[in-house]
Amino acid sequence: MKIVIVGAGEVGFHIASHLAHENKDVVVIDSDADAIRRVSDSIDVQVLNGSGSSPVVLEEAGIKDAEILLAVTNSDETNLVACLVSSIISPSTKKLARVRHADFDDYHDTFRDYAPNIDTLINPEIEVVKTIDRLMSVPGAVDVGEFADGRVKFVGVNIEKGNRLDGVRLSELPIRKGEQRPLIAAVVREEELIIPSGKDRLKAGDLVYFISEEDKLLNTLAVFDKHVEPIRRVLIVGGGRIGFRLATLLDEKPIQTKIIEKDPDRCLFLAEQLNKAVVLSGDGSDQGLLAEENIQDMDVVVTLTDDEETNILASLLAKRMGARKTITQISKFSYFPLLTAIGIEQVVSPRLSAVNSILQHIRRGKVLSAISIKGEQAEVLEAVALETSEIVGKPLKSISLPEGVLVTGIMRKDKVIIPTGESVITPGDRIIIFAGRQAIPKIEKILAVKLEYF
Amino acid sequence: MNWRYILSVVGILILFLGLAMIFPLFWGLYYGDQSVIPLLKSMGITIISGFIFFISFRRSKVELIRKREGMAIVAIGWTAAGLFGALPFYLSGGEFGSFVNAFFESVSGFTTTGSSILTDIEAVSRGLLFWRSLIQWLGGMGIIVLSVAILPFLGVGGMQLYKAEVPSPVPDKLKPRIRDTAMILWKVYALISLAELILLMVGGMSFFDSLCHTFTTMPTGGFSPKSASIAHYDSVYFDTIFIFFMLLAGLNFSLHYQFLKGNTLAFWRDPECRVFIGTVLVLMLVVTFNTYGQVYEKIGSAFRYSSFQVMSIITTTGYATADYGQWPAMSQFILLLCMFFGASAGSTGGGMKCLRIMLCFKHCYKELFSLIHPRGVMQIKIGGKPVSDDVMRSVLGFLALYIGLFAFSTVVLSGMGVDLMTSIGAVAATLGNIGPGLGLVGPVNNYAHMPYLGKWLLSWCMLLGRLEIFTVIILIVPEFWRK
Repeated sequence: MKIVIVGAGEVGFHIASHLAHENKDVVVIDSDADAIRRVSDSIDVQVLNGSGSSPVVLEEAGIKDAEILLAVTNSDETNLVACLVSSIISPSTKKLARVRHADFDDYHDTFRDYAPNIDTLINPEIEVVKTIDRLMSVPGAVDVGEFADGRVKFVGVNIEKGNRLDGVRLSELPIRKGEQRPLIAAVVREEELIIPSGKDRLKAGDLVYFISEEDKLLNTLAVFDKHVEPIRRVLIVGGGRIGFRLATLLDEKPIQTKIIEKDPDRCLFLAEQLNKAVVLSGDGSDQGLLAEENIQDMDVVVTLTDDEETNILASLLAKRMGARKTITQISKFSYFPLLTAIGIEQVVSPRLSAVNSILQHIRRGKVLSAISIKGEQAEVLEAVALETSEIVGKPLKSISLPEGVLVTGIMRKDKVIIPTGESVITPGDRIIIFAGRQAIPKIEKILAVKLEYF
Repeated sequence: MNWRYILSVVGILILFLGLAMIFPLFWGLYYGDQSVIPLLKSMGITIISGFIFFISFRRSKVELIRKREGMAIVAIGWTAAGLFGALPFYLSGGEFGSFVNAFFESVSGFTTTGSSILTDIEAVSRGLLFWRSLIQWLGGMGIIVLSVAILPFLGVGGMQLYKAEVPSPVPDKLKPRIRDTAMILWKVYALISLAELILLMVGGMSFFDSLCHTFTTMPTGGFSPKSASIAHYDSVYFDTIFIFFMLLAGLNFSLHYQFLKGNTLAFWRDPECRVFIGTVLVLMLVVTFNTYGQVYEKIGSAFRYSSFQVMSIITTTGYATADYGQWPAMSQFILLLCMFFGASAGSTGGGMKCLRIMLCFKHCYKELFSLIHPRGVMQIKIGGKPVSDDVMRSVLGFLALYIGLFAFSTVVLSGMGVDLMTSIGAVAATLGNIGPGLGLVGPVNNYAHMPYLGKWLLSWCMLLGRLEIFTVIILIVPEFWRK
């Protein structure tokens, strides 16, 4: 499968590295020679220095025999033009573009059916706001993903020092009578991803990923000593596009929102557009301002400025001054390993969201959604079990799944089954699979049918 | 530096090399000659050493290799190939009696140089002669490229290795994935080799000789199982075939690929290819007219021998049909220039490479241009495509290093008591991976009489030339070893 990626920025780079690891043929185009060099030095893909919206460059990249074009430059316009050009010179190529301006939100279908014929438009900012909303509503979660239209959640929680689960075996997790033990899909310990068995013990410092039905989520979280605390007051630092989207969403909820923005003109705009939220003109890392606005009473502080260093500092400051919980927007992937060490708990990244949404679209087979976790060491896939697939009709324990693969959920009609070795998958079931990076190509093979779906 | 990983990859290379010894062993058994025992012994030693290296440094996790490690693997891997490849020669004694001779011959093979220390080649057993040719064939397209093509796990690291082994001023990847690129190059290489083999056999050469010659033409190697080299056959047909295939080997292999894919104008459209062929034709004519009357009576034979020799030297093959040591000074000097000029980038040939020389000339012109138009803006282009300053800088750095190393090695070699002409010829011929040089190491002589340390020096020059200097020389830069 050949894929052309326009844009070698953070998103393009990570998608390319993902796909190259899965042995796909990837060509990356960017007009910035330095970005191109970074790609060609570290990833096994072909690179082209030139403008991605130029027909000559696209042709040279072999767009005509490419199956998919991913337009993910920073400029919406370049992405749209790249798709337009490719729809003219190579109509059979599937196109996916990242377009972030809010004005395009309602036109995704129009753009698919008319002129540029972009099969999928993604706006990671919408996704980021959704993620923030989820993180706020799930107590103690570091990472939340949704499957089956939100009925099943994939949650990551930290086991901090003093947690009653420190040192407990997975098979001995304390649960109430009559309840099912939560299925732990993975544990991240010292930056290392482990697929645990029942005999393994949890340790303080672990990041534990589990799958749970939505209605049982709070009970499951209670197992991990995480309890619900209602959210009443939220402070947003940074009134950019994402901040504005989030404030608009919170406006409709019974939540008191304050939003701090540096630029007075932007503040004026926010004040015009938002009804309930209090708009404050100032610097989010200004201690005086934070104290004035009663930071110690805030349930959640969300830092969403364009500058990630500011976000990190503002979050740390807010935490220090008594805010209960912070959510920080960080785009630079290289900061991720640092975050636990410096005390940043919950992170959102528009780029990681973009990577996730794109991955979900280029999977073979009927993959409905895909989420990559922990610096892309693993992915969680939701897929439809097709009749032709090898995993159908046998108890799970008698299927030889590749190493590092775990079936973590089966959804049959409205029922959600947390599988055991005896469970049998029937055709049409939606299954949630957890897979380490090396196992992904094999999983694709197992799930894929002869035809390729997009 | 991740030493464990480096040594484990080197271990795999050695293992492969050991397995490759099975082929000369077949010939040895077929002819029942005395090469069987030494080959068996060296095969055992090589395979076991490779296995020990691989096992003791094996790591379950393949980590990303950086440029540095890539260069270290390639440089160490090639040195190891030279050492283990020398075993069959060393263990069979005879003219290879001392280890330095065996090592020289082996490095000369892998680097596709073709300089030999043998006086009487026909006296050597068939198994060894075949090994001599086979290592040239393996070294020509690159032992690392071959490993990248057939070992899937080298993956991303494969790219760093590839870049370190096939340095090209303007790298081109034929396919998005390095493994596919490596595979294509080897397939094209094997295909052209097969064509040559068939054409040689059609001309009446025995299967063994055809195979040996094919294995040394395509990598522009130059070893021949005959003491008199190609002159042994004295046939216009063979001369023509060799000229043609030496030319093919001296052109960029990605052009062959494009041509085979149906782009018939690929050669014509490539500026380097045009310049290379043009230069070759002009030099052939100049040498023909220079030798006509002075050496050869007939213009026909002057052209026959001159064109063969020019092609053989400029593609850095090193076959001989004539003793150009007897030619007029101008012709000899042109051949010396050919040694520096070298073949095209992306070919199996050595030397400075045509593309680099083109870039250098364009750069000189740019300097002159900016003297005339102090505010003028000029971009160096090749075939209408701009060449970035980075590339230009590395090309100029390469040329400076090449000349510098040539001068240094010549001074050292002449300091060992070798005469001037021979020193210049020997260093130019080994650094450019040609084979025969000038003076006492000319086409009818050999390198056996070189001083002991001189042989080590020249072996080092061959490695420098084959890996295009940077990969090897970086190992002796202290900065490279600093943590």
